[in-house]
Amino acid sequence: MQTKRTIFPNKLLPYVLLAPQLAVTLIFFIWPAAQAVKSSFEREDPFGFRTTFIWFENYTRLFSEPGYVNSLGKTAIFAVSVTLLSMSLSLLLAVAVNRVLKTNRVYTTLLVWPYAVAPVVVGILWWFMFNPTIGIGPYMLRGLGIDWNHRIDGTQAMILVVMAASWKQISYNFLFFVAGLQSVPQSLTEAAAIDGAGPFKRFWTIVFPLLSPTTFFLLIVNINYAMFDTFGLIDATTNGGPNQATNILVYKVYADGFLGLNIGSSAAQSVVLMLIVIVLTAIQFRYVERRVQY
Amino acid sequence: MATINLVDLKKSYGNVPAVKGVNLSVADGELIVLVGPSGCGKSTLLRMVAGLESVTSGHIEIAGRDVVKAEPAERDIAMVFQNYALYPHMTVRGNLEYGLKNRGTPRTEIDRRVNEAADILEIGQLLDRKPRQLSGGQRQRVAMGRAIVREPAAFLFDEPLSNLDAKLRVQMRVEIRKLQRRLKTTSLYVTHDQLEAMTLADRLVVMNGGLVEQIGTPTEVYDHPATLFVAGFIGSPPMNLIPTSALGTDGANGLPAGTDIVGVRPDALLIQRPEGPCIALEATADLLEPIGGESHLHVKLEGSGQAIILSVPGRPDIAESAHLTIYARPSELHPFSSQTGRRTDTVAKS
Amino acid sequence: MVENRPWLSFITHLVLIVGVVIVVFPVYLAFVASTHGSGDFLRGLVPLLPGPYLIENYGRMLTEGISTAGAPPLWIMLSNSLIIAIIIAVGKIVISLLSAYAIVFFKFPLRMVAFWIIFITLMLPVEVRIIPTFAVVANLGLLNSYVGLTLPLIASATATFLFRQFFLTIPDELMEAARVDGAGPMKFFRDILLPLSRTNIAALFVILFIYGWVQYLWPLLVTTESRYYTVVMGIKRLAATADTEPLWHLVMASVILAMLPPVLVVIFMQRLFVKGLVETEK
Repeated sequence: MQTKRTIFPNKLLPYVLLAPQLAVTLIFFIWPAAQAVKSSFEREDPFGFRTTFIWFENYTRLFSEPGYVNSLGKTAIFAVSVTLLSMSLSLLLAVAVNRVLKTNRVYTTLLVWPYAVAPVVVGILWWFMFNPTIGIGPYMLRGLGIDWNHRIDGTQAMILVVMAASWKQISYNFLFFVAGLQSVPQSLTEAAAIDGAGPFKRFWTIVFPLLSPTTFFLLIVNINYAMFDTFGLIDATTNGGPNQATNILVYKVYADGFLGLNIGSSAAQSVVLMLIVIVLTAIQFRYVERRVQY
Repeated sequence: MATINLVDLKKSYGNVPAVKGVNLSVADGELIVLVGPSGCGKSTLLRMVAGLESVTSGHIEIAGRDVVKAEPAERDIAMVFQNYALYPHMTVRGNLEYGLKNRGTPRTEIDRRVNEAADILEIGQLLDRKPRQLSGGQRQRVAMGRAIVREPAAFLFDEPLSNLDAKLRVQMRVEIRKLQRRLKTTSLYVTHDQLEAMTLADRLVVMNGGLVEQIGTPTEVYDHPATLFVAGFIGSPPMNLIPTSALGTDGANGLPAGTDIVGVRPDALLIQRPEGPCIALEATADLLEPIGGESHLHVKLEGSGQAIILSVPGRPDIAESAHLTIYARPSELHPFSSQTGRRTDTVAKS
Repeated sequence: MVENRPWLSFITHLVLIVGVVIVVFPVYLAFVASTHGSGDFLRGLVPLLPGPYLIENYGRMLTEGISTAGAPPLWIMLSNSLIIAIIIAVGKIVISLLSAYAIVFFKFPLRMVAFWIIFITLMLPVEVRIIPTFAVVANLGLLNSYVGLTLPLIASATATFLFRQFFLTIPDELMEAARVDGAGPMKFFRDILLPLSRTNIAALFVILFIYGWVQYLWPLLVTTESRYYTVVMGIKRLAATADTEPLWHLVMASVILAMLPPVLVVIFMQRLFVKGLVETEK
């Protein structure tokens, strides 16, 4: 790994400099993670006096539990829907902004600020909008003959959290797509225009393929976001319900661990989540490697 | 005012030697130029003197003090870098002052030195600007100024002119020479440009492959290159190196034992027979390049096909493929052995 | 490129306007709600135009809060959020600057190990290790404290990597010149490196301030005393008043107040925000 050509000769100083970061990391990250891994292989007796090492029993029990399998499925549906919905909207907006010259600053400003809204606040906003009694969403849907009540209807609950989560992520995707579009050399689209390609054809044959690194990167980031950063959003809109219809993994691990106090199962869930993050991070960095040498 | 002594100085990176044992004594006030191709170890040597590279073995003395273990700041040296290394967020004045402040120099003394350096370098009107607002030449002056204000025992220059365009380079070269004469500060100067080396140096150190090939005044090095490498490196166009077999029995006569290559400078080869003894070679003209007051004539020796360059005055009327005879005085021949790579006569000193 | 297709320009602007409406509408609705009185929510549809109670509602939330929902006055929660967001942002920046400095400008045994330990934090978001992390903080007696709210969050691989990338672009000669000029490691750090990192620090601060402000799960776990509540978690308490319909006008006033600081940061520091966002992901 790179350093400078010349380096300072101090022996002790670098450790002192690293100490705060490493201390925080070891105490609040590595140690708890190790604890989670350890308890995922153990069973505590009801009084908490004795723990027994039980190999993979927590895991086998976990994966045979219908609630967990359901949660896996809901998480997949949620993550994929949010990613697709948010990314396609953002791409459309980014392409549009990239076409306008004078007003693009104004549009950009109006589109990026939801990044700063806390997921839980996003949840409250959408919950308010789709509140079955007073929300404007259900009111308009009633006009179309649709009876909206996400407190009862699991599918509607899922649609609601997907919309809310996608709404928040639009700003992020939009900014990265704009950056990606700006790095497509103008000479290429000009060459294609001279070759007689119209605007739509130019986009699908030239611009979109060249955007693929950005698209791929955002794909990973969005899945990551949907899986791990949406705890507050779920907590504010549906509480994982109705009937577990929106009980995604991060919500379940919290609910089982803190409210249900099942340490072994919760630990096993944590470990599964960690494995998922590790895989996502690994994919992301394998791709990022080309841009950054670590 | 100080001397610099390097004693059997070595540097290796892991198992890869970069400097393989260099001895050098720099007299007080002398400007020594280290010259050689890239990767010859000249920069590493300079950076060891500066304290920016650790020393694998050997000694460095500056002003009689062994500084091998000393921090760069404790060595009483100042350095001018290739990319100037001006602190981008500080004004010119800030750049000049920084080293003095770090040493706790009193304010009045700092002001005196900064103003004096600004006068010498004519950068007084730039003192409140930031480096990015300066031209290449101005940045170069500020970098020099930063060295001057320190009034160090020695200046170290690491290819300070190579980022400038050709015209400015010549101008700054002259200024550096004048400045060094005026301040009489012992200086080590690294460059890969042999013309810069020749014009600046009190003495040249020609390096190759981590070793010193020759140390001497520019004239000595030019007139009596000690090794085949120096012969080929110093001088433009480079010295012709001709195997003795291509000279014929006539030409090879009287050369010292062990000689198998003869060097002869392009301007020592003549197309008219001079007076006195000389050797003659038959050749075919390849190409004539007029470069102003003189011309470079590329020829091939007949028989061996050895390519040779002549530097001839004016623009002689020689057609391509013309046959001609070229001449050289025996005193202009530099005899070398390809086995040792060294001169085979005893004139060379090192 | 010169291209004259009026219908395409029309569609472009239409797309953007629809996009802006989608993005702005939920917040507009919240704002409108926050300007009405409690009676206006009984008619079966939320009002769509602002009402007259703006000052009253916001004033009440800022100074009194809703004691029945266990929510302290908003100004307390807002200042907690501000304090926490600033501690987290500054803390992350400081420890990341220091560790990136160590990794780039020094060579020492275990350097790679240190790098990987920092890297691993990327893979361990708090959501996946809630219970054991909570246990550590509880054992250290840090529940209900600013330290407990912030310290466990201030390790930052992304910030460390950003500074590392930036330090690697600083020419070697600058550090060498500083050493020849008599600057030791800390002096070089303070006099040269920090001033050169200014823009990066500012950009990162914007991103990390937002990160700190929007924290929800962690404050929810480690605070039980209302004087440590942050506004983001406090709002949830307001909204989740079990069986009764929430006091919409007051909840929405809080929502607007909770959103405002970070949103203003994004809008007024948009250039730094974009830089921070794009650079931290490299």
